[in-house]
Amino acid sequence: MVIQRAVWVLFLWPYLLTCSLPLDCREDHGSFSRCPSISQEKLLDRVIQHAELIYRVSEESCSLFEEMFVPFPLQLQRNQAGYACITKTLPIPSSKSEIQQISDKWLLHSVLMLVQSWIEPLVYLQATLDRYDGAPDMLLNKTKWVSEKLISLEQGVVVLIKKMLNEGMTTTAYSEQGLLQFDGQPEMLESVMRDYTLLSCFKKDAHKMEILLKLLKCRQTDTYNCA
Amino acid sequence: MMKTSAEVNLLLLLLVFTLHVKGMRYSPPGKPALTRCRSPEKETFTCWWESGSDGGLPTTHALFYRKENSEAVYECPDYRTAGENSCFFNKNNTSIWVSYNITVVASNALGSTFSDPVDIDVVYIVKPNHPEMVTVTVLEDKGWPFLRVSWEPPHKADTRSGWITLIYELRVKLEEENDWEMHLAGQQKMFNIFSLRSGGTYLVQVRCKPDHGFWSEWSSTSYIKVPDYIQREKPMWVLITCFCAFIFLILTWLLHMNGHSLKDFILPPVPGPKIRGFDKQLLKNGKSDEIFSSLVVSGFPPTTSPNCEDLLVEYLEVYVPEEQELMEESKDLHDICLKSEGCTSDSDSGRGSCDSHTLLMDKFREAKEEKRQRDQEKSRTGTEDQRQQKDWEEEGLTYAYEDMVSPNISSGRVETWPSLFSPLPQYSSSRHSQKSSLEKAKKHCFSDSLFPPGSTSFSLDQGGQTTMEAIRSSNREFSLRIKQPHLLHSHTQARCQLQAHSEVNISSIGCKQALGGLRSPAPHSAEYVEVQRVNEENTVLLQPVESGHGHIDGCSQLPLGKDYSRVQGVDRYNRLLLKGEVPQEGDCLYDYQDMTGDGTENCYTSSSVPSIQKPTACIHTVIMGHDEMVLAENGYIDTLTARTLPNY
Repeated sequence: MVIQRAVWVLFLWPYLLTCSLPLDCREDHGSFSRCPSISQEKLLDRVIQHAELIYRVSEESCSLFEEMFVPFPLQLQRNQAGYACITKTLPIPSSKSEIQQISDKWLLHSVLMLVQSWIEPLVYLQATLDRYDGAPDMLLNKTKWVSEKLISLEQGVVVLIKKMLNEGMTTTAYSEQGLLQFDGQPEMLESVMRDYTLLSCFKKDAHKMEILLKLLKCRQTDTYNCA
Repeated sequence: MMKTSAEVNLLLLLLVFTLHVKGMRYSPPGKPALTRCRSPEKETFTCWWESGSDGGLPTTHALFYRKENSEAVYECPDYRTAGENSCFFNKNNTSIWVSYNITVVASNALGSTFSDPVDIDVVYIVKPNHPEMVTVTVLEDKGWPFLRVSWEPPHKADTRSGWITLIYELRVKLEEENDWEMHLAGQQKMFNIFSLRSGGTYLVQVRCKPDHGFWSEWSSTSYIKVPDYIQREKPMWVLITCFCAFIFLILTWLLHMNGHSLKDFILPPVPGPKIRGFDKQLLKNGKSDEIFSSLVVSGFPPTTSPNCEDLLVEYLEVYVPEEQELMEESKDLHDICLKSEGCTSDSDSGRGSCDSHTLLMDKFREAKEEKRQRDQEKSRTGTEDQRQQKDWEEEGLTYAYEDMVSPNISSGRVETWPSLFSPLPQYSSSRHSQKSSLEKAKKHCFSDSLFPPGSTSFSLDQGGQTTMEAIRSSNREFSLRIKQPHLLHSHTQARCQLQAHSEVNISSIGCKQALGGLRSPAPHSAEYVEVQRVNEENTVLLQPVESGHGHIDGCSQLPLGKDYSRVQGVDRYNRLLLKGEVPQEGDCLYDYQDMTGDGTENCYTSSSVPSIQKPTACIHTVIMGHDEMVLAENGYIDTLTARTLPNY
């Protein structure tokens, strides 16, 4: 009996090895391919595509939400209500010149920080949007899609960091009991403004991710001409 | 000193006073407003404002901004670069993804006014410059030209590093048109335009937009002229032209070939007026009385409503199968009559009387042929008889023919024959009524010697188109042919009585009295049967007519001659052949209801014929039908009109 199991282990040895390998080589963007084959450039391209898509969808979601729920006079003053973006504390460079001065490592880490900080609030946003009366399905679908893609983006950036910087990072553990705080039955307008601010901030941060990644790509391909 | 200070004070007060008076127009400056802020490349931006009323005093403006997450207020670093009433933020002062809170202050001697604050984020106010270096060239794709438009992004926008992503749009129009054709080119810097008009001049413009921001202005117009390429389309046009010409020629030829029939189809000839026996000269004479009198048809409309079906006469043929000579003679007479009358053809295309006339001739010839055949079968009795019969025949034919012809073509007179089948209760009464109208016609028909007018009643169908041919045979069989030519339908359709259907041949048997009359050089007794009427069962009631006398007595008036009251049979031309036989004593009435050729004779009184309604003695009932032979006791049947009897 033991001999049989030993034989099994001997035979299945290569399979065990191969099964363990793809964990950190798994392509985050939907296609499974063997790790050695995917190049850094291709990976970066895919990450950038992800970021572009996320930004576009978040822009559409924000416009939809603005049209449907935000009263017209309040549309122009996004921060009037005093809600600041949750990521304002993050040390993200805010000008091109600043961005040109930071290193690749710092770029990637900034991106990762942004992505990771938005995963949970998006889930929260989804829950609150469900509570709205007459929220269009398109809006709900978009926000849901965005939150899913954000997780994929995070994984891609982690792999990228590992490849480029040879640093091992861990993905955020998705916890159900996050920052979800329901204030009982908040006032409608207050809730609307809060969600509106959330969406606007996310839109801005998605754009940040896209720009940062693109600049990173430029540096990778043409170091000297990237202004 | 005090005086000067007082003066100064006074002056100041005066000044202030005047200023105050004037200063009713002076006021603190009006509220300025920020009109717009734009960033051309997402690295710098400019804000423009509008000043309100200056209050009459020199006013200065200042722009203050506050960055997000900071309470520090800064003033605009550059008021001049961007022009009047503007503030330019250079790269060092521009932060993206950061909201700016900008306020403009207008101040003068009397005060200052703050504008409404505006929050902007540089990322969202990007409006790039228009694309540069727009080039348009004409290229060829398999002989067909197309435009290739290429351009460069504005030199300030950093699209290479991905800092800005621009999408482009171009528009094209012909020089003489007003509508632009828009094309979205995406992120590419080149575009092809197809489907050009040869020889036209095109105008092309390009503009761009960041993925979040505003559209740029249109670039300067580029003109391009497309060369002519009509040469390529020429062979096609030549082919089309040839094909059309070919089709046209074929159509012309077809039209030419069928032109005449087509003309008749489109413009059918108009039939002229045609009334039988009506002389158009009357119309030309213009005498209305004559016209109307000639148009008057006596007996029409019928005083009693006739049964239309009863009046239907088509073809009644009484055929005398023998006597070839008679036929020949009759033929001569026929021709004579033909010539005498003549058929003047005119331009009236609808003239049917001519045609009917010719048809009658044809039928007559037919009868002659049949007669010839019959003659061959039967033997001839005697030449004397033939001669006599010939004589008799001649006259009879003449008059019969004349009578036949006269109502058709004779001018100045229209003979209308009263309906034979009018349900007159008494033949005698009808006879009277008919007599007067028929008198005239009879004169032509029968000579006094042969056909005493009084003893004959000659009634034809109302249409007056029945023709008679009397052909006597040596066996005293002769057939009268009364026809109604079908061609006369055009004139007779109005009258229901004149619908001819079938042909009925009635062979009448010349009665022995007639023969007897013929034997004598001057036959005086012409025996023939009068058609009395037709009852509702389409039975023609014939009445033998004695010469010059009534026939009511019956038995005493029996003809001495042969009795042609038996139907011999029907020949193959559907003609009744009457057989003559010697009558027996006591046989005064014959009922011929059931004619089967067996020669049974039933006394009228003893027969039970439901159809006979006239309880008059010596009424010979004659049934007309396709397959019936009618036997007339005396002479021959004057007029017979009948149609197919359904019950036979």
